[in-house]
Amino acid sequence: MSALRKSSPLAVTGKYLALGFYVAFALFPLYWLAKIAVTPDKLIFTEGTALFPSRFTFENFGTVLLATDFLSYFKNSVFVSIGTAAITTAIAAAAGYAFSRFAFRGKRLIVALMLITQMFPLLMIIAPIYKIVAAVGLLNSLTSLIIVYTAFNIPFATFLMQSFFDGIPKDLEEAAMMDGCTRFEALRKIILPLTLPGLGATLGFVFTAAWSELLFALMLINSNDTMTFPVGLLTFVSKFSVDWGQMMAAGVLALVPSCLFFIFIQRYLVQGLTSGAVKG
Amino acid sequence: MTAIDTAVPGRKPRARPTFYFRYMVEPYLYLTPAILLIALVMLVPLVIGVSYAFQAVNLLRPFQSGWVGFANFEALWTDRKFWLALTNTFWWTLGSIFFQFFLGLGLAMLLNTQFHGKRIVQALVFLPWAVPTFLSALTWAWLFNPTIGPLPHWLAALGILSEPFNILGDPDLAMWGPITANVWFGIPFFAITLLAALQSIPHELYEAAEIDGATPWQTFTKITLPFLAPMIAITVMLRTIWIANFADLIFVMTGGGPANSTQILSTYIFTTAFRKLDFGYASAIAVALLGLLLIYAAILLVLRRKLVKI
Amino acid sequence: MRGLIGAISALAFLAGSAASAETLKLVEVITSPERTEVLQEQVDAFEAANPGTEVEIVSLPWGQAFEKLATMVAGGDIPDVVEMPDRWAGIYKDKLVDLNDKIAGWDHGGTLTQKTLDMGRQTDGKTARMIPYGFYLRAMFYNKKLLEEAGVASPPGTMAEFMEAAKAVSALDGKYGYCLRGGPGGLNGWIMMAATMNGDNTFFDEDGKSTLNQPGSVEGIQFLIDMYQNGYAPKDSVSWGFNEIVAGFYSGTCAFLDQDPDALIAVAERMEAEDFAVVPMPVGPAGKAFPTIGFAGWAMFDTTSNEDLSWKLIAHLSSPEANKEWAKRVGVIPIHEGAEQDPYFKTEQFKGWFDTLNGEQYVPTVMPTYLEQFGYFADSIALESSQEALLGEITAQEVADKWAEFLTEEYARWKAAQ
Repeated sequence: MSALRKSSPLAVTGKYLALGFYVAFALFPLYWLAKIAVTPDKLIFTEGTALFPSRFTFENFGTVLLATDFLSYFKNSVFVSIGTAAITTAIAAAAGYAFSRFAFRGKRLIVALMLITQMFPLLMIIAPIYKIVAAVGLLNSLTSLIIVYTAFNIPFATFLMQSFFDGIPKDLEEAAMMDGCTRFEALRKIILPLTLPGLGATLGFVFTAAWSELLFALMLINSNDTMTFPVGLLTFVSKFSVDWGQMMAAGVLALVPSCLFFIFIQRYLVQGLTSGAVKG
Repeated sequence: MTAIDTAVPGRKPRARPTFYFRYMVEPYLYLTPAILLIALVMLVPLVIGVSYAFQAVNLLRPFQSGWVGFANFEALWTDRKFWLALTNTFWWTLGSIFFQFFLGLGLAMLLNTQFHGKRIVQALVFLPWAVPTFLSALTWAWLFNPTIGPLPHWLAALGILSEPFNILGDPDLAMWGPITANVWFGIPFFAITLLAALQSIPHELYEAAEIDGATPWQTFTKITLPFLAPMIAITVMLRTIWIANFADLIFVMTGGGPANSTQILSTYIFTTAFRKLDFGYASAIAVALLGLLLIYAAILLVLRRKLVKI
Repeated sequence: MRGLIGAISALAFLAGSAASAETLKLVEVITSPERTEVLQEQVDAFEAANPGTEVEIVSLPWGQAFEKLATMVAGGDIPDVVEMPDRWAGIYKDKLVDLNDKIAGWDHGGTLTQKTLDMGRQTDGKTARMIPYGFYLRAMFYNKKLLEEAGVASPPGTMAEFMEAAKAVSALDGKYGYCLRGGPGGLNGWIMMAATMNGDNTFFDEDGKSTLNQPGSVEGIQFLIDMYQNGYAPKDSVSWGFNEIVAGFYSGTCAFLDQDPDALIAVAERMEAEDFAVVPMPVGPAGKAFPTIGFAGWAMFDTTSNEDLSWKLIAHLSSPEANKEWAKRVGVIPIHEGAEQDPYFKTEQFKGWFDTLNGEQYVPTVMPTYLEQFGYFADSIALESSQEALLGEITAQEVADKWAEFLTEEYARWKAAQ
């Protein structure tokens, strides 16, 4: 904060303690998840509350990778998430640009409509969407998931992109257009390179959201070949027992991409939102 | 955007697009993909979904449906379970938002200072947002189970619980389980957005305040808060709406039980739609929820406008 | 160009339809890795015996199977052959093909036990909407070690002894008597106790009124409430489902578990054979016990494009050899006569169920799954009200009255539609 005030040692210790608490709180459940993943099956219940398992094993990971269809689920999820992230970011960039640069009739209405789509429980539109998708013949296809996820993520992604665009002065395009570019050329050549952090952040955010979506993946996909991994996790819950070790191992494996992605982009999210925050 | 040409003298301006084009058409060129997609995939099904509320719709008997007007809503009014779910939804949302927001704000303020290892801490502390909710619900359910998780034992040792038992099975305490998981999940959201807002506050203001001898509290209320207000308004509104609709955590951790003590409107909609297969009634509940959220959003927007004026 | 595209699409269409002429879609709803494996084996054998046919197995995740199948059917993605649990038959019955004629013309139709045929026709007593593949029958698992520790000499034979034994085990530190299923799927337990204490398991009297709020039934309901409120069942068993009670049993937390043969598979994997055994359910004051019996089977949707082939698949899966293999691996009681002579079913663990089948004092109870809203009753209404009762929010009489009212109404509706 200020360079003038010197912090007392008490305040500094307090600050580090608080930070420590936050980090511990954030990581502890993840640690527990990983711990179950490396605990052998027999010990999962008997040593349930121990902080460290007495024996480590990587056999759960082995089984998940080799004996289940997990790799295929993983591949499908990657395809859907990257597809959704890419398309959503492109569309949201366009829409966010429009919101940022133009004042036009119907702006309020569109914002209101976007907000409403967030309010209605997705459960209710599953049936109509299911019928539409079935009628179009896209049932069981990853494309249908990409389309639905994109539609649902556009509002928030647009909000993000709008913030990023707000942080770039309008004069830049004005100057370019004065020199003879069309707006679109100006956008492409000058503005977009400046919003790369914003694009990255939006990509990462949408990727994370699409990666963990469960409901639509469950309902729209029936065949094993096109199953995504959240639904795959559900298959570990069978009538006889829950294969906890394997499920958690699959969970850990699945966490890796979204966590890595998120770690990478969180910096840009903060950066990008900063410029737009005041205008919010 | 003005229509006045700000031509630089000496340079021949290219034929500028007409006012009509720039005001009416050009924005929509950029907006069309978004609008099209949202309209087709969300709004049309939404209208269809809302229309179910006025019909008697059984999922497996498509030929038995018929328009029943407001009958579903009348039934809703006298449904004890609906009001119970509504109350639960209120406490669920309030409890989750309260802790998420203040803890997130605290974290944002901490991250706004300098300290060793800031990069790593910042990256780690935002991780919960990247975890699929199904997985985090399972993990937290484990943590609260005395046979296989440490939390009941710690809580008992701290004296909060009389003996280590699973709070998810206790109707008075069950709601705290999903709330805790939700708080864990939601802190990063507020921390990121509020940190961004904090970083946009000019430093000179703080320095000036310090020179004038302001206390930390005064600095906070007179400088920080007003700058944060717009961001707070948006994020709280958006997150509240998401949480009110958020059934995953509760569904996995308690299933709405025991005895409906954690049943919120979303889970009630789910059981009505997919267990009873009564889409008409489920839709009525959803419309009621939608109405409440619209009122809430409207109130918040009016409040915000009033506050900004002040 | 257009001509070329037209030709190519025509060819593709022909090729596609030729390939799909002999394709069947089979949906399994009670899914586990073991079951899918066995099913795949049997399907492979079917494909080998019928060259040119292809069967696609779709496995629905068990926890979401009901809503998934409902959504699939409502959306038009309807399978040819489906695994149909008894509880859902009442909902789907109008969409399932009547198999009576096919069974009559079938080689193995004659060895089906009478119970199998009766259950297959349960929806209205006449139309065979499915062929069951096996029966789930309740019996009492008990933990020998815990009983020994608690000083209980022999497994309980009557309800009173059961309560006493549970009390004794609960006196041990951190242990409980009964693995109560207070959560999803627990209705069977309540019905059993009610019927046992009432001495009678008919659901509806001659006037069509439910028997669940008769004084004897209320006593049975009170039995379980007492069990919970006295602390003879773990405190969070109020929300325990199948996985939790089985885990509670094999982790040694509670000593008694009432379950079907499929739980045996999970338990046997994790407990030593000498640590547990299975006996029939304890009898009530009338000297009888009424363990619930359930079933699931194979059914055919009437939208199937190839009825004969679908029937062939069902017949293959229901043939004596295939059915016996299925029953062993999956944990049900097989459907053809003479099956219990097989050495697998003669072990000590299985004894509990066959004693139940053969003993006269044990009368199997069939749930009224022909009622359309029965699934909803079991999964929502009964679940919530029974939890309220366990927690002391309402009394046993109130619960019984609520259930009786709902079921009487449902029954009247069903009767009117006959």
